[in-house]
Amino acid sequence: MFRNFFRAVGAITKKDLVVWLRQPANMAAMIVPVLALLLVEALGSAAVGRSPVALVRLDQGPKAVQMAQIIHQADVFRLADASSESQAQLMLKNLDVVAIITIPPNFSQRIAQGQPAQIDVEVNNLNADFTNDIRRSVPDAITQFYQAQGAASPIKVGMHESDLRQRDVEMFQYTILPTMVMLLMLSGLVSGGISAAREWETRTAKELLLAPVARGTIITGKVLASFLITFGLGLFVLLLGYILGWTQPEGIYWISTLLILVLVALFSSALGIALGALLQRMQPVTAISVNAAFYLFFLAGGISVLAFEPAWLQAIAAYIPLTYGNHALQMAIFYSSSDQLGTDILVLSVSALVAVGLGVLSMQRNIAN
Amino acid sequence: MAAITGNLRVIWACMKKDMRSALTERVFLIAGIFMPVNVLLMMSLFVLAGSHAPTAVVMHDTGPYAQAFYRAMDGAHSFSLSTANAEDAQNLITEGKVVAVVTIPSDFDARVRANEPVQIGVQINNLNTDFTNDIRRAIPLSITSFYGKAFPNLVTVTPHEIDWYPQTTDYIPYLGVSILVISVMVGSLLQSGTSSAKEWESGTIKELLLSPASRWSILVGKMLGAIAVSLLAVILVVAVVVFVLGVWPTHWDEVIWVTLLSLLIFIALGTLLGTLIKRWQPVVALAFALSVPMFFISGAFGPISFQVPVTQVIAKIFPVYYAIVLQQHAFHSFDLNTFGVGLNAAILMIYALGLLVLTTLALRRSTIAH
Repeated sequence: MFRNFFRAVGAITKKDLVVWLRQPANMAAMIVPVLALLLVEALGSAAVGRSPVALVRLDQGPKAVQMAQIIHQADVFRLADASSESQAQLMLKNLDVVAIITIPPNFSQRIAQGQPAQIDVEVNNLNADFTNDIRRSVPDAITQFYQAQGAASPIKVGMHESDLRQRDVEMFQYTILPTMVMLLMLSGLVSGGISAAREWETRTAKELLLAPVARGTIITGKVLASFLITFGLGLFVLLLGYILGWTQPEGIYWISTLLILVLVALFSSALGIALGALLQRMQPVTAISVNAAFYLFFLAGGISVLAFEPAWLQAIAAYIPLTYGNHALQMAIFYSSSDQLGTDILVLSVSALVAVGLGVLSMQRNIAN
Repeated sequence: MAAITGNLRVIWACMKKDMRSALTERVFLIAGIFMPVNVLLMMSLFVLAGSHAPTAVVMHDTGPYAQAFYRAMDGAHSFSLSTANAEDAQNLITEGKVVAVVTIPSDFDARVRANEPVQIGVQINNLNTDFTNDIRRAIPLSITSFYGKAFPNLVTVTPHEIDWYPQTTDYIPYLGVSILVISVMVGSLLQSGTSSAKEWESGTIKELLLSPASRWSILVGKMLGAIAVSLLAVILVVAVVVFVLGVWPTHWDEVIWVTLLSLLIFIALGTLLGTLIKRWQPVVALAFALSVPMFFISGAFGPISFQVPVTQVIAKIFPVYYAIVLQQHAFHSFDLNTFGVGLNAAILMIYALGLLVLTTLALRRSTIAH
């Protein structure tokens, strides 16, 4: 009995995999944009927080030289030295820089005399993102200028930083995991949904129904095919991230990482089968799947840190299974932590089971029709 | 004259046929129309929420200097502040509810008054460098601005900001306009790409090409049909940007022609993709999935010249970049590159013409091959 079950499941899985592999355009359409997104995120991160700025030093005195050195070393700008004010103005006008920092002609003299010495910061304040970066970065450099004076510094208030985690994670690394989870969701929904809907659209559902196998066997085979495709894609991105040094789980955390990928892939594949069996047409299945994957990606904190969003958004996210997938992957890969892993696994497992149940129900009801 | 009338009839017939076909796939049509709005709302929602770092401040001292320091932090353009006792603050950061806990020690006022060193405790939930670096920079900014106000004679070096524009445009009004372009791209690619690919997939392209109608009139008819359907989504998205996000354009006429020109480009691109790929599934997947990388690469967050050189080169390959530049000018009068409105528009027109030619060539080549 079990032998027949496994043979039938194997045959259905193999058939769906072969159909999928015969459509290289579909595979490319799924993988290429994700790779493009990863590349774009990596490129974008190089500019985040370090805006291009022109520095004009109109004073040759020692304090002006020191200030200029500190601005150079501050690692908060991408600095271009301008030989004159007019050159800097041209750079600002041509949008080569966000701002011009000008150390005025009498800067050293005024400091020596204890008089106010303002550093002019001319900002192209077209949006708050870049403007606030500059507003934070210039005082940062000024603070470093005073710190360099040691005990003689008039600023006695200092900052004692303690970090909650052992390592800092780069912004683009942080966004890779939600992107991977979105790929799993999209792939599972689309491949599962289309594989089920295709049976109705091409009327092969009748043949499946008339075959001497249980309906549970058919559903298991279809979910398995979609799962293998989806998990394979997820694994590909994870290994790519590993090779590039972006996502490198360590030791035992490889297991939790792979387990989460398995659960998310299973959840999305089963949900895809349920959707495909329900709608029975490939085009609406695709449209709804992509919309759903997009919504779930954002609502599970795809481009932000969910914990820092407003409470009502967090409340919504608590009902999105992908939230738990993102969390578990972040903990395992970035922080080598199993914090709330039990909850994450439980939620994802229950979601996957519910999705499989929905798939079974949907398939059975529509096969019967 | 008869030839012109004949071509117009073909265009009208193809357009009508494609619009009717779109109406038969209602779920797809509705999803396609609302997808751009979804993109707009979702991206706006999370950008809005993520602009200020939630921070708990433990005020062990409530003296005037401590209060002044709190105000300096509030004005640092970085924090969403709340006060808490030490225990609650620790719980908040452990539970991941705040990015940082700033602790002002009990002897803060006394030490500041006596000009003695004093350390402010800053515990950071260093989840990622974006938030962490914001905090690392915003605390020194608060310290410097606190000293600048409390002890102007001691701390004499201060920044003097000169702004180019009378007011700084906030995250949502700026990004909303960029997202509008991406939304137009997704909607147009989806509509024209599927309409074109389905002709090949269902084999009806043979009938079209075997008919005595000219190739270009078939193409124009199909594209006009896609434009008419996509226009619904575009109107919806523009309405959301203007009436929901409250971004009122400074040049309405520019908004209209830039949107229509963008629509034409993306419809032509979708038709080209559909003709080349000949299968609607990968076209749909590409249309949706390209939206996110395009959003990040095309200068949605600010002038592309502020990015690293490689990003600038890549961005300038795609028409999305020029469309964003023009829409930002139409809505906010911003000049995001040095080309001016005319040259940016000319570049977009070249894209439109180029894509139309490529689509025609692709259609002719496919005809020979099949």
